Amino acid sequence: MKDVTIKLDNVWKIYKMGEVEVPALKGINLEVKQGEFLAVMGPSGSGKSTAMNMIGVLDIPTRGKISLKGQDISKLSESDLAQIRGKTIGFIFQQFNLISTLSALENVTLPMIFQNMPKDERVERALKLLEMVGLRERIDHKPGEMSGGQQQRVAIARSLINDPEVILADEPTGNLDSESGHKVIDFLQDLHKKEKKTIVMVTHDEDIAKFAGRTEYLHDGQIVRGRKRF
Amino acid sequence: MKLDLLKYSVSNLWSRKMRSFLTILSILIGITSIYALISFGQGINKYMEDFAQEMGSDKVFLMPGGGLSNAPGTSNIMFSEDDLDFISKSRGISETTAMMIDFGKVEFKDFREKYPYVMGLSTESGEKRLIEEMFGGIGVMEGRGLKKGDVLKAAVGYSYTIPNRMFKKAMSVGDKIEINDVKVEVIGFYEEIGNPGDDSNIYLSQEGFKEIFDTEEFEYIYMRVAPGEDPSDIAERVKERFRKRRGQKEGEEDFTIQTFEDVMATFTNMIMILNGVLVMIALISLVVAAVNIMNTMYTSVLERTKEIGIMKAIGSRNRQILNVFLVESGILGLVGGGLGILLGYSIAKMGQAAARAAGLTFLKPHFPLWLTIGSLLFAFLIGALSGTLPAIRASKQKPVDALRYE
Repeated sequence: MKDVTIKLDNVWKIYKMGEVEVPALKGINLEVKQGEFLAVMGPSGSGKSTAMNMIGVLDIPTRGKISLKGQDISKLSESDLAQIRGKTIGFIFQQFNLISTLSALENVTLPMIFQNMPKDERVERALKLLEMVGLRERIDHKPGEMSGGQQQRVAIARSLINDPEVILADEPTGNLDSESGHKVIDFLQDLHKKEKKTIVMVTHDEDIAKFAGRTEYLHDGQIVRGRKRF
Repeated sequence: MKLDLLKYSVSNLWSRKMRSFLTILSILIGITSIYALISFGQGINKYMEDFAQEMGSDKVFLMPGGGLSNAPGTSNIMFSEDDLDFISKSRGISETTAMMIDFGKVEFKDFREKYPYVMGLSTESGEKRLIEEMFGGIGVMEGRGLKKGDVLKAAVGYSYTIPNRMFKKAMSVGDKIEINDVKVEVIGFYEEIGNPGDDSNIYLSQEGFKEIFDTEEFEYIYMRVAPGEDPSDIAERVKERFRKRRGQKEGEEDFTIQTFEDVMATFTNMIMILNGVLVMIALISLVVAAVNIMNTMYTSVLERTKEIGIMKAIGSRNRQILNVFLVESGILGLVGGGLGILLGYSIAKMGQAAARAAGLTFLKPHFPLWLTIGSLLFAFLIGALSGTLPAIRASKQKPVDALRYE
């Protein structure tokens, strides 16, 4: 049996809107095993973004426990969480989220800078990854000078720079045309099959979700097992 | 890693060139004025120190009324030959001399007449030296000084050698001038003292002064304290004796006795207070600059909220975000400070040239190393401190909220 990489144990997330408490997650239990490709589906407002933030340790739960490789991270400080994110998790966002003032190469090396890696190593690795995503010729281009598909490929290269165990992709094809979208999915499948990365992908697109090995459905802040309710 | 963040900070500032430029401009103005003003303050201080060195500290002055607050030549209290004699016999005094002083109408050729100070000096060599020391150790630069037997002869100040300063043409040795309609021969010129007042003085022998101004009274008496004596003690003692001689009560004297050091301190204090007030005004502009930097940084934090979220998502710690913003505001301060120093230096140098043209040679800026380093450090600190609150705000952003920001 494979090790569990991420485990959400009765996780609640409650937002306060003035006096009113709005629960976004209502006691979610979820396990992501090492090397697994999991898709999380759900309509908008179902809590999948909140779940994604929990899995990516971008946020801490109101109640419940989140563990990453057996370590409880629900009570860690923001700086420790940042360190864990930088080392273990690679993010791919729907909006690409590249830094507009930096070149492709600089964007890809940035997570390594935060991990205090030496420059030579950073550049060497970044060039290799940009080569892999087919952007070796565009390393000096800024995000504004690239197409959406190219930006998302830079973001994929960036997500891999610290060789994380988990790749978190939040609607990675949501802002792309179908050709670019397929390219991105191809990369994710390659990472899963060849590099044995654990991949968690949030999407509302069934055609995309079918590439994953397992799909979980979220509805109204809860996981609905076995069947689709939307 | 530090260098990379620095590069990142610089590229951020560069990508918002206009705003960075305007922010730098605001701190530049403050540092320019402070640097220029303090350099002049330092210059005047240095001039006073040099002057004091030349003058020596063994001198005591007797002046009418409240002392330096009275303009020379306007007093109706005067001292007599007997007063001078009385003082020179005081214990602890090694030399004395007295000076007559009044405004004179001076005419030269057909040029418009001038009204400078005319002084009557003793021609005894020791007494003459004492007076020359009083003026900061000046000597005669052309022709000769006054000597025994000179009556209608004048040694004149440096300004008379410069065309268009006192008269349209410069004077030369042997020229004839008229003082209060009496013809006097110019026999020599004194070196530059550095302020237009003293440099336009005309010096006569006391015999000559008596002939032209028809007075035998002195306005100032100068004393040299005997070696080993403390000038303050001597000044106090002379003051007491002189008060009794004039039958006056303590605190109601119609004269002032001050040591040279007191006089220097009075002058220096006056100038330092003036300089201090100007520097305070300049400091206000730096406060404005600090607010401006803070505003710029807050705007920047707000604009880059999403960027902060991204950086946090990809592993940046709070401290690293804090550093990025602190370095940015520090750079704004540092660049503003550096340019301010360059501009302040140029302005001070231009000020010096302007003062020189006006005969105010003593207005000469002085740029000690601490002033330059201090100004730079100060500018950096203002930048970094004003950036602190915005930087803390940036670093404390929650990654989820920041990522959601549009």
